[in-house]
Amino acid sequence: MAVDPAPRQGARLWDGPTRIFHWGLVVLLLVSWLTAGENMQVHRWSGYGVIGLLVFRLWWGVAGGSTARFAGFLKGPKATLAYARTLGSREPSGTPGHNPLGAWSVMAMLAALLVQVGLGLFASDIDGLESGPLSHLVDFDASRVAAELHEATFRIVQGLVALHLVAIGYYWLWKRQNLIGAMITGKRGIPAEVLQPASVVRLLIGVVLAVAVAWFVAKGGRF
Amino acid sequence: MSERHAKTSRAAIALVLALTATGALAASAAETAIATRQAGYKKIGGAFKAINEELKKDAPDMKLIAANSAIVNTQSQQIPKWFPKGSGPEAGFKTKAKPAIWTEPAKFAAAGNALQTEAGKLQTFAAAGNLAAVKTQVRAVGGTCKSCHEAYRAED
Repeated sequence: MAVDPAPRQGARLWDGPTRIFHWGLVVLLLVSWLTAGENMQVHRWSGYGVIGLLVFRLWWGVAGGSTARFAGFLKGPKATLAYARTLGSREPSGTPGHNPLGAWSVMAMLAALLVQVGLGLFASDIDGLESGPLSHLVDFDASRVAAELHEATFRIVQGLVALHLVAIGYYWLWKRQNLIGAMITGKRGIPAEVLQPASVVRLLIGVVLAVAVAWFVAKGGRF
Repeated sequence: MSERHAKTSRAAIALVLALTATGALAASAAETAIATRQAGYKKIGGAFKAINEELKKDAPDMKLIAANSAIVNTQSQQIPKWFPKGSGPEAGFKTKAKPAIWTEPAKFAAAGNALQTEAGKLQTFAAAGNLAAVKTQVRAVGGTCKSCHEAYRAED
């Protein structure tokens, strides 16, 4: 099969932190899904991890490597529609990194996950036994509403992830483009180097921010 | 219309009105029962939530825990009054109470008793200021909530 052999030597596309974010999120989403209602202590820890990853990704979206930056890949409706019209073509996508349509998919997933994890912080189970770390800020009724919405928004997250997987399959089969390999190795067979990496200082700031927010939330907003 | 017919139709109207009124009364009794128990369970849930949240703190306030344990215990004593016959889903109001509550009353009563017993112990430990015992006992109380909900409360 003439799939673009992504893991070969190629130009760098995704920086390390972006890839770690991506696969870390994959693992934690699975953990969160499997532990929901089963092992709430692990579910909470996993949620704190997701918060850390999201905070990091938001920082990285403004301060990270060039291909991770929102301003670099977000395009207006015109460009997005123009790209959408080329979807049926068997030509591989010409965009290195997130194409205009995929960019909105990324933003939708980030937004849905922020809502998802935010609701979880205030949720409480029907027994009043298990609760998110910030549930003490709201009453029982409100925390039950948060729990019910937390369940409902997870359906949205699942839908967006399913769409993401379908899109990857479509690019693989129809456009002969291997998007997964690039997310693993960070490299792709593209002619020119597109990634302008961010400095280690910025990486450290992102990590400190992520850990600080996750820690603060896990402690119930108390220091 | 003959007088006899008029009498018959008046009687019929009266009968219909009486039946409607009885139906409405029964319905409102079911509605009241549902509202009462939901309010009661919300008190238990809210108090228990407050206890568990207090226990997450470094230095839990035992007085707050004792006060909320008393609410859980007192409210749990009311449970036998909260499920009059006819206040199940068949009444047509929004309730997550499962019909099994009324078809297996002995088992349901035992589930309620389990909470009362564990809640009583929790109140005792909390009043004595025994933090370690309270921490273990909340799991026991929560366990009775959970097992009863699994058996007798419809899934969200």
